[in-house]
Amino acid sequence: MKKRSFTILLTALLTFSVMLAGCSGGNNSNKATGDPAPTQTAKAEDKTPAAEEPTAITIMLPLNTSETPPDTIKKEIEKLTNTKLTYQFFPADSYEEKLNTAFATGSLPQVTYLKNQSTFVQMKEAIKDGQFWEIGPYLSEYPNLNKLKPEILNNTKVEGKPYSLYIGRPLARQGMIYRKDWADKLGLKAPANVDELFAMAKAFTEQDPDGNGQKDTTGIADRNELVYGAFKTVSSWFGTPNTWGTKDGQLQPEFTFPQYIDTMDFFKELRSGGYMNQDFAATSKTDAVNMFTSGKAGMYIGGSMQDIDSLNKDLIKNFPDAVLDTHSMVAGPDGKFAQWMIPGYNNLVLFPKSAVKDEAELKKILAFFDKMMTPELANMMFWGIEGTHYTVVEGKAKVGDNKELIEREVKPFKDSVIGESETNGMYESYNTLPGRIHAEELLKENVKVGVPDPTAALDSATYTEKGVELQQLITDATYKYMYGQIDKAAFEKAVEDWKSRGGSKIIEEYNAAAAK
Amino acid sequence: MQEATAPSSTTPKFQPKKQKRNSELKKRLWRNKWLYVMLLPGVLYFIIFKYLPMYGLVISFQDYKPYQGITGSEWVGMEHFKRLFAEPEFFNILKNTLILFGLNLFIYFPVPIILALMLNELRGHFFKRLFQTLVYLPHFMSWVIIVSITYVMVTMDGGIINELLVYFGFNKINFLLSPGWFRPMYILQVIWREAGWGTIIYLASIAAIDPGLYEAARMDGAGRLRQVWHITLPAIRGVIITLFILKIGHVLDLGFEHVYLLLNSMNREVAEIIDTYVYTAGLRQGQYSYSTAIGFFKSVIGLIMVMLVNRISKKMGEEGVY
Repeated sequence: MKKRSFTILLTALLTFSVMLAGCSGGNNSNKATGDPAPTQTAKAEDKTPAAEEPTAITIMLPLNTSETPPDTIKKEIEKLTNTKLTYQFFPADSYEEKLNTAFATGSLPQVTYLKNQSTFVQMKEAIKDGQFWEIGPYLSEYPNLNKLKPEILNNTKVEGKPYSLYIGRPLARQGMIYRKDWADKLGLKAPANVDELFAMAKAFTEQDPDGNGQKDTTGIADRNELVYGAFKTVSSWFGTPNTWGTKDGQLQPEFTFPQYIDTMDFFKELRSGGYMNQDFAATSKTDAVNMFTSGKAGMYIGGSMQDIDSLNKDLIKNFPDAVLDTHSMVAGPDGKFAQWMIPGYNNLVLFPKSAVKDEAELKKILAFFDKMMTPELANMMFWGIEGTHYTVVEGKAKVGDNKELIEREVKPFKDSVIGESETNGMYESYNTLPGRIHAEELLKENVKVGVPDPTAALDSATYTEKGVELQQLITDATYKYMYGQIDKAAFEKAVEDWKSRGGSKIIEEYNAAAAK
Repeated sequence: MQEATAPSSTTPKFQPKKQKRNSELKKRLWRNKWLYVMLLPGVLYFIIFKYLPMYGLVISFQDYKPYQGITGSEWVGMEHFKRLFAEPEFFNILKNTLILFGLNLFIYFPVPIILALMLNELRGHFFKRLFQTLVYLPHFMSWVIIVSITYVMVTMDGGIINELLVYFGFNKINFLLSPGWFRPMYILQVIWREAGWGTIIYLASIAAIDPGLYEAARMDGAGRLRQVWHITLPAIRGVIITLFILKIGHVLDLGFEHVYLLLNSMNREVAEIIDTYVYTAGLRQGQYSYSTAIGFFKSVIGLIMVMLVNRISKKMGEEGVY
């Protein structure tokens, strides 16, 4: 009997230990594959023999590449700034979700990057509630941070106070990238107005620009995004205001303007004529780009014109003779030019009070960012290590040839550089591709006719609460209209729906905020 | 073992009934103590990971603000549920969810059974193995892959299926954007990915059937179909019913990822389900309380369904799951 109970005990113990092993094994593999953050923890215990203890800073930011980067850049930065950095990268696609859950559980790290303007709008309520450090009073103590452009900082203020540092971007980078070789072959010039744009799309579809004797090309490769696809850029060429506009002395959303309808009609005709991809409402960015780089479409509209480098790289793999160019000066029906502008930043950094305990800690972190805004460090983050990732030509940075290495080691950090080259002194890019050089000129032209979003610095509680959900109504109706499933009356009904379900309140609140 | 249980066996007989029962329970517990020890990890797992988190459900009755915490947030009672039921799209979303669930139940569910029966009838050992492996394979592909492959095949811009339609003189069909094609595409993809994997349990229970039964049937002159109908199917009936009830328990888990990938502006009226709505309204917009309320509602429906079906199956003389 004794013996048997011993056997049972042994069995139980064994089961237990196997289960425990199973559990812990599971955990380990999770850490290794699922969550990249812990593996990033700095191992550099006593790397810097500096007198002062390195400051430990944890940073959470969106990742725009498929892998977390190796420590190459991070180590250099730690050395130069006497810090111990932990970067928590999370895929940009689901970053809002990560941000919301981390916020809900109070586990935002000391330095929290948002994703874009709309994540900032969502955080406004928490900012007002005092969850984040106000940095306004400290900025003047840091010579480099103090250089940040006040007009852009203004757009990031909440109740008139700055809480965040911004990642600068040119105000209007969008335009079109098109096949210049096709246009030349068909004797077309860059479209000067929307009619010529339509004509070009039609010609690219019907006149066999690739000369293979088959009707297998189309005009525009668009994707399932109204804002970052072709729609918004073309709508601003048509003269639609940027998100909100003034009508009868009142702020009104863009979709109540006749130009918005004109733009929808434009796309409706393009689609029914077959001059753009038929499935654009279900086409992802990757698929749209693929259509363009595989020679099936001749125009790519709405993205940053600076993307021409990467598009060109992939296109000439398939068609060595292809030539690309950029263009953005397309006049509307009234002959006027217009380009919508972003508020000058594409992302912001916040400092949660839950992680940054006191003023001394905040000052240390701000000191780190102040150093990051020196040319040496900004270049390191944006361009990588000189000689390895880029070389300096005529005082500008020329990207190295090993694109994969740069994508892996530098790109993830690139999108976190505070400020822009005018303020942090980093190198401008040295361009060789004629289309890219053209793009840089167009960027300056765009701003001259730029249309800002009048609500960028305004506040609407209803918008914060249900803006995204309500926008869905309009987005769906817009697509349905462009696909010819609903008519103008039904679209206007959707707008009425938008108003009755909270839109009217948003209009009211924005107008009240603007009147202040 | 005996020494351990000895003291309780000496309990006097004239004790009140209740106490006696108590001591008997103790005795039983003590006798099977190792079984309970072995049970412990499982129980702990459920308590820690399934029951304790339910505490979080209270936020569906609050205006939850993360920085105020559960204790500090304002109590709003049924406010979020009222908003949910007042939402003009709510019934449409519920309808979509239930329709997809119905498709899962009545179209997908029988497929693995039929497939298992067919695999079982395959005679060549090599072919059986080959087919089994082939039908299992899609299960290991993520939804992103399945949906992308479908996209490439059915897109109107050069997808093979539309090219074939044109070749045979038909018109192109807009599979990706038409509300009418969403449901067929959804269920076909589910079958494609899961049907093979679903056969495993059925195959295992078919393998356990006594071969003597088939032999006897053959002696009586039963053909292949007769054997399937009178022996194989009745033998796995219990398994089918258990799996059916378990399936209903997952009533509204229709694969968020799958539907979200298929969803677009043109098919939203049929493709928006509770899960995708929770994601857009809740997680992306940070409406924690509201999305918890919706999730709560969904779980309640799931629970009701399971209890209902369990009762029905017991009435029909089958064993339920509890």
